[in-house]
Amino acid sequence: MPIPVDWYLYLSAALFIVGAAGVLMRRNLFIILFSIELMMNAVNINLVGFSRFHENLVGQNFVLFTMAVAAAEAAVGLAIATALFRNRQTLMVDLFDRMKG
Amino acid sequence: MVDKILFLIFAVLAVAGGLGTITRKNVIHALLLLVFTFINVAAIFFLTQAYFLAVVQILVYAGAIMVLFVFVVMFLNLRTFREQEQTHRGQRWVALALSVLVLAEFVIILAGITFTSARGGFTPEAVAAAGGSTKVFGDALFNQMLLPFEVASVILLVAMVGAIILVKKEKSSDVATRAWGPGAEPSADTAEEEV
Repeated sequence: MPIPVDWYLYLSAALFIVGAAGVLMRRNLFIILFSIELMMNAVNINLVGFSRFHENLVGQNFVLFTMAVAAAEAAVGLAIATALFRNRQTLMVDLFDRMKG
Repeated sequence: MVDKILFLIFAVLAVAGGLGTITRKNVIHALLLLVFTFINVAAIFFLTQAYFLAVVQILVYAGAIMVLFVFVVMFLNLRTFREQEQTHRGQRWVALALSVLVLAEFVIILAGITFTSARGGFTPEAVAAAGGSTKVFGDALFNQMLLPFEVASVILLVAMVGAIILVKKEKSSDVATRAWGPGAEPSADTAEEEV
């Protein structure tokens, strides 16, 4: 008796919204990076659930590429965080207003 | 039946870990809760018979990427941020309301649709007969997905070079010598506190 695909979608939606809420609400740059990782994991759950449901392995292969992109994003994001902290001595994102955005 | 109960347990734990991640003041606590979430997601991959991905999730995500985060978080001195305000003053309630609203939209939409399986043929029985999950996964990856696989390696190379260039100190400028947070260097007694 396989797990219904709807359950994967509900779980994925819940995790994604938790991540999006973290990005919108928190000021700390690190917590925002963690929230982005949460959202990527939600997408992975979605892909694996549909891969099982459609009995097709392309979804599972795609998760591997998502992980590669997540690793690249973590490396570049942490490098940017380090450079910003070195220049501004803070990591609160609303204080980075030099470009008047 | 046991599958469904286990799925529910791991799903609740994963969402609880995610909620903990975005509510903690301490960055290290948030990071450990994020690792907890990733391990629960790996358990869900196991329940879905995606065994290779479950192991990769633990090794790469909960292992490598999170160790990178822990390393950088401990490398920087973040203890001053715990006294500061953690959420945006003007938008925290609006953001919370919007998140709940979008979640409600997701649930309403998902409750109204039914999916029909495309029946691609890779059932767990067929996969087991063809030599196991990892073998079938690798066959698909290195035959159908060979070009995206090579592109992924280029992306990782570019990210590596970019990260090195971003954190490299410029020799000409004399900023970037102060590595500690606002205020003076931490004294010996504060340095023993947790991050």
